[in-house]
Amino acid sequence: MTISRRRFLAHAGAGLTMAGLVSGPQPFGLMSALAQSPSGDEPQDYRALVCIYFNGGNDGNNTIVPLHSDQSVSGYDHYFQARGPRGLALSQKSLLPIAVPRIGGSAYGLHPAFGTVANGINPGLHPLWGTGTMAVVSGVGPLMMPITRAQFQADPSVRPRNLFSHTDQTQQHHHSRADAVMLSGWGGRIADKMTIGSNPNRLVPTVSSVVGPRLFAVGENEQPLSIGPAPTPLSSIFSLTGYNGTPIANARLAALEAQLLVENGQDMVEASNSIQSEALRISRTLNSANEVSVVFPATDLGNQLKQIARMIKARSSLRVNRQVFYCSLDGFDTHNGQLLGQQGLLTHFSQASRAFYDEMAAQGIADKVTQFTLTDFNRTFDPAGTGANVGSDHGWANHQFVIGGAVTASDFYGINSSNGTPFPTLVNNGPDDADFGTGARGRWIPTASVEQYAGTLARWFGLSQADMPFVFPNIGNFPVTDLGFMTNA
Amino acid sequence: MKRHIYLRSALALVLASFAVSAQEDPNPNSPVPILVAGSDAERILVREAAPTFRQQHGRELTVLYPSAESSVISYIRGIEPRENEGANSVRVFLKQRSGKTFELEVQELRRISKSEFALNFRLFDRSGFRGQPAADGDSLIYVSWRGNASNMLKIGLGSTGGIEIPKVTRPAGITSTDAEYVGYRFAGDRKRFAEQAAFGPSPILDMRLRRIGLRTWLAEQFEAPYPTFAYPNPPQSPTNPPMDCSLSTFPHCYRERYTMIPLQRWFFTEALYGDAQLRHRTAWSLSQIWVTSGLTVQQSSHAIAYHKVLSENAFGNYRQLMYDMTLNPAMGHYLDMVRSTRANPNENFPREILQLFSIGLYELYPDGRPRLGQNGQPIPTYDQETVNSFTKVLTGWTYCNITCENSSPGIVNYKDPMILNPANHDLSAKTLLQYPNAPHPIIPACENCTDPEQIRNYAEQSLNTALDNIFHHPNLGPFIGKLMIQQMVTSDPSPAYVERVAAVFNGETGSPRGDMKALLRAILLDPEARGDAKSDPRYGKLREPVQLITNLARIFPALDFNGENRSDGALASYANLMGQNPFNSPTVFNYFSPDYNVPGTTILAPEFELLNTNTSTRRTNFLHTLIFDGLTPNATDSLRGTSLTFGEFLPAAEADPSGGMLLDALNVRMMHGRMHSGQRDAILKAVVAVPITNPTLRIKTAVYLIAVSSAYQIQR
Repeated sequence: MTISRRRFLAHAGAGLTMAGLVSGPQPFGLMSALAQSPSGDEPQDYRALVCIYFNGGNDGNNTIVPLHSDQSVSGYDHYFQARGPRGLALSQKSLLPIAVPRIGGSAYGLHPAFGTVANGINPGLHPLWGTGTMAVVSGVGPLMMPITRAQFQADPSVRPRNLFSHTDQTQQHHHSRADAVMLSGWGGRIADKMTIGSNPNRLVPTVSSVVGPRLFAVGENEQPLSIGPAPTPLSSIFSLTGYNGTPIANARLAALEAQLLVENGQDMVEASNSIQSEALRISRTLNSANEVSVVFPATDLGNQLKQIARMIKARSSLRVNRQVFYCSLDGFDTHNGQLLGQQGLLTHFSQASRAFYDEMAAQGIADKVTQFTLTDFNRTFDPAGTGANVGSDHGWANHQFVIGGAVTASDFYGINSSNGTPFPTLVNNGPDDADFGTGARGRWIPTASVEQYAGTLARWFGLSQADMPFVFPNIGNFPVTDLGFMTNA
Repeated sequence: MKRHIYLRSALALVLASFAVSAQEDPNPNSPVPILVAGSDAERILVREAAPTFRQQHGRELTVLYPSAESSVISYIRGIEPRENEGANSVRVFLKQRSGKTFELEVQELRRISKSEFALNFRLFDRSGFRGQPAADGDSLIYVSWRGNASNMLKIGLGSTGGIEIPKVTRPAGITSTDAEYVGYRFAGDRKRFAEQAAFGPSPILDMRLRRIGLRTWLAEQFEAPYPTFAYPNPPQSPTNPPMDCSLSTFPHCYRERYTMIPLQRWFFTEALYGDAQLRHRTAWSLSQIWVTSGLTVQQSSHAIAYHKVLSENAFGNYRQLMYDMTLNPAMGHYLDMVRSTRANPNENFPREILQLFSIGLYELYPDGRPRLGQNGQPIPTYDQETVNSFTKVLTGWTYCNITCENSSPGIVNYKDPMILNPANHDLSAKTLLQYPNAPHPIIPACENCTDPEQIRNYAEQSLNTALDNIFHHPNLGPFIGKLMIQQMVTSDPSPAYVERVAAVFNGETGSPRGDMKALLRAILLDPEARGDAKSDPRYGKLREPVQLITNLARIFPALDFNGENRSDGALASYANLMGQNPFNSPTVFNYFSPDYNVPGTTILAPEFELLNTNTSTRRTNFLHTLIFDGLTPNATDSLRGTSLTFGEFLPAAEADPSGGMLLDALNVRMMHGRMHSGQRDAILKAVVAVPITNPTLRIKTAVYLIAVSSAYQIQR
């Protein structure tokens, strides 16, 4: 929560004032009055959630592939049968094996981009499976309630709104509900409930986004800080050009600040003033570099995660005990050219995420910071197109990655489908396919909802049981609210 | 005799002036609504709604209880609705102590006397996005009509007390400093019009509008040659850049052919200096609906061919645009239709032509609001089966690499429309959109089709059938109409405005369905768009980065860095830093969503998706560089750079040491003459801190402070 935001919201008449906020000696204005406490202490019981969003819908079917030939669940043969002839199958030997205790220790394979790659700067995420710091949650997607394939086919009212549409499925992952539109996201609502209790002395909002205030980061009351990615130094993001301390410049700065205080009753003008005021205020707080020690890849996602790592390093000077971050990677809508496209994107993810994990370890908080993935949807198991251009269309339930020292173990988590595992049966028109008939293309029906997945992370983060329904309105529809992939410590 | 001649010439004069005045634009200013207060002058007069809503209303209420059932009546004066301008032209806003603003559901507007209207509304927010009003004491209520807000009054919910009506000081409200005895004299409205219909009010455009008025200008623009500056014409090149055009050794060649840079430079040049502003602006708006992106579209030549489809259809018919865009290879590549075959169908384009380019996801009322089903939820316009059918219709189309005008060996042809490969077209039956009076809801299978020519005819006919089926859906008018209003005029138009525009676009007012000229006239001449001043707190839109740049570059005629020649238009990289990389949209969903709300509020404001603490700082810093220093040339994409010129304002800056004349002149030019006195006072202090001996720095200081202010950045 920022004062300027509150002032904006309260414009109708509560009479809060921003005087002194942008020009006074106290950069955080009224906030300091709310929270007088010693500064500079190492935050007690620090925790952070880092959402990595794959824009466009990552093809989970090529991200985690069965390597085994166990006929009771889908094996590599099933996979190759559907995807091989059209040129979309990854070769068995290229996949990076992981053993999955939940499925009797069977071997599954991670996409080769998760390992050592050409021009890579680290070994990637694959080795983290062996150290128990990476988990996979399978069969996750927007759901109102647990449903069977028969229910899905018979009753349109149990289907999420506008299934398979990018905008809607993205929103549903951001706000967590499958049956209604919300204007806040679950990251923001966690902050709504936890900011006052956990971050009473904060100098920055609980949530920060490197790609603007995406819905995930927006609360009902708490609003995120938008920061820019590296290589811009953390201390330069908000610095203003052209103010060199001369009397003329000082007069100009005073005018710039003064006109932010003009109340003209216009909603969008006030909203813009609120954003500008917040930026000015933060410019006086985020004024040191907090450089990281681990090398990050100079990619889009690498630069985003690097800036997040600096924000985390600044945690004690920013006086925050709980932080939520949002960053994203574009380009996953691989209707065509998927083999090359996804290889590149997952490489970016693996390299950047691993660098971030290593940096957290270097900061001594690997078990206090958890990265997790979200994406619009999985993609059709049945390929789209063929040959060099082969891709896939919009699907539904997907695998998600959770990375950090606080995951329970390296395993598959989730709710079992009819095959007795959370991993879908890889058969078009099979028991997990939302499509039916001869044209069925393999859009897996989720067994676990976004709310169960997110709820498990939120519980670890410290959200109380009582606040769960506020953040996850439909969580009561699910018998299991904790999927078990996060430790209870 | 002589006298008679005089009379005749006088008559001729009268006739001539009548002819002129008959084409003149009417006074654009709509009256301001007045919400009637009860006995307590600060409190709204509210009565219980009688069951039949007759002239006799129930008892007066002081304390009300918000709920979906609480239907009440209040009274409005001052408005002069046209025939058919009904309940959806008035919006009721409720501001509460919590800081939340709700839009209450209006049920009926009825004239009860010559000057007074009864307004029936519910104490209930239909969207419910931020919950419902609470019974927590006095709240503030006002109505808006045609972009003008009424007085604000108290309304007691649950109890009274706890809130005061804010004292909002009015803008300084200089409407004009120059005497304007002739022509379209509404100076504020002229500026607003030039922001909506063009890329900003250049002095020349402002003078033209003043001389010939808005209607005549529109007619002139519909015939204006376009473009003023020829489209760049880079050659279509091989998909793999050849050695003599590789990025590493021949970066200039690479940039000209394999990036959007030539298109971007040309786009800004045309926006800054071109004469056919309306066509350029309309094509720009359409490019944010029919989105392709240089992130996928490889070559400038491909994107330029795509842009030509937009500009050539900007004043044509939307149905033709749908056809041309469906077969445009850049779009075909971007949304994969070019790869969609009956064996391997691809849903991408078929899904988006429905969702984004024509009718949207939900059934709409003619005023753009969603219809709700019995479960209270919006009603989907189509389902996956429909997408599958349209996918089948659109299979088999591909590049014309051999037989067309621009075909060339070894090069993929993006200039000519896609052609059909009969072997790849799906011949089965398709079920299209089902709605009342839908033309051709079903396409029968092509029975016994083996002859390629037969299949070509079938596919072409199916394509037209399918496009007709979409084009005649009742959603077309409200869906596209609202998007275009949001692009040009205001982020959150009243339903009545959408309805007026939709009726025109749907062909209900005499012009053909889909007529773009009629659409533009309806949008730009609507009373909600026009007027010297708009007081509705939610009126207007945030200037997107591209238009923030072009507006300033036109108000203060841009030249190159040295101030000698035209700028080369290399401005895209600056827009990109502020979150909008023109013709390189991050996704098919454009730079921002038409449904985006300012976080934590119910303010519908699409362009705000690009504004946050990070980009607002970048906007401020960019404006500092542009205004004080100019944009320096560089060796890669801008050989000449860009700077603004302020000569027009030197006399005012030199003549008046107090800075007042300068501020007045800038107020007229930049702020529609509506600068708030508080802002004026703040800026004057910074201006007089600059010695009078440096008038240019005084001008720059004032221009910069106005330009960075939210009051300027919101185009109102």
